Amino acid sequence: MQNMDSCTYKEGPLPSCAPLAVPMLASQQSSEPAYDSADALAKGTLFPGLDLPFMDYVAAGPVENTPLAELMALDFVCQELALYLDTHPNDAEAFKTWKSFTALAKEGRKRYVEMCGPVKRSDTAKFNSWVWPEDPWPWNSGRKAEKK
Amino acid sequence: MFVYEKKLQYPVRIKNPNPAMAKYIISQYGGPDGELSASLRYLSQRYSMPYPEVKAVLTDIGVEELGHLEMVGTIIHQLTRNMTVDQVEKAGFQDYFVDHTAGIYAQAAGGWPYNAAAFQVKGDVIADLAEDMGAEQKARVTYDNILRMADDPDVIDAIRFLREREVVHFQRFGEAMDIATSKMDQRNVYAVNPAFDKKK
Repeated sequence: MQNMDSCTYKEGPLPSCAPLAVPMLASQQSSEPAYDSADALAKGTLFPGLDLPFMDYVAAGPVENTPLAELMALDFVCQELALYLDTHPNDAEAFKTWKSFTALAKEGRKRYVEMCGPVKRSDTAKFNSWVWPEDPWPWNSGRKAEKK
Repeated sequence: MFVYEKKLQYPVRIKNPNPAMAKYIISQYGGPDGELSASLRYLSQRYSMPYPEVKAVLTDIGVEELGHLEMVGTIIHQLTRNMTVDQVEKAGFQDYFVDHTAGIYAQAAGGWPYNAAAFQVKGDVIADLAEDMGAEQKARVTYDNILRMADDPDVIDAIRFLREREVVHFQRFGEAMDIATSKMDQRNVYAVNPAFDKKK
């Protein structure tokens, strides 16, 4: 990995000589720079280097700020960092960031459940009755949680 | 084991019925390069995969694809709820409607029921990961083609998100390939299949 220092966040290092007939793709070098959580969700990736849209189909802006969208954004950052960590298990900085976002998502989930109802079935234990089957289910839009 | 979360990965809020659009978007539900194929491919390839990092990538992406299956199902549901028979006829949606009404059925845009022949589990590290990289590209192109035709901003927004996930997954499978091949015989990575041949 001779040219590591000269690669930007949109590039990754490749060896200058490489074996024939072995598939090679430049590895992402760092979990930084990164979008903030609302932008990451809207764009579909946490990482500007991987943000490669088709034609001019780009996000109009961050997803509308609702309790549900806020939780989706935190969970999305956790998912993006988890996939990154799967192929970069020794990146201590990314692991630290993942841990802090996991804590934020846990807090966000708690607030959301209190306000809007169970996300996991086990969340129903916080309620006085079996509210798990109650509408709305995710394929019905117009949930209470989607309103400001 | 799987635990269900009563929410989508990304919001889908489509206001107007449009069975003409549902007719082709359903390919990403049960078509050859759709989300069901993706999920089954990755979750099934895990068992013979010898490397921990690659098992994690296949698991975490395979589970996310199930979330995408739910998003695509939601898109089709919202495009077909409250539709009238008149809209069904004008959209040329009769072939689907007569068999499934406004239910969600796993089929390709051309009407073929979901078929596992669309994907492979070869039980070979390089072959399976090369298939996965190809699969992400094919799904990306399907979403590109949907974007070329869709004219409802509510639909475009969700499709655009799903398409970008294919780009990210392609990167991760490429990195997984690099991790896997770096653990093989560097003089000849094809000397053995580490998913089958025992280490000497």
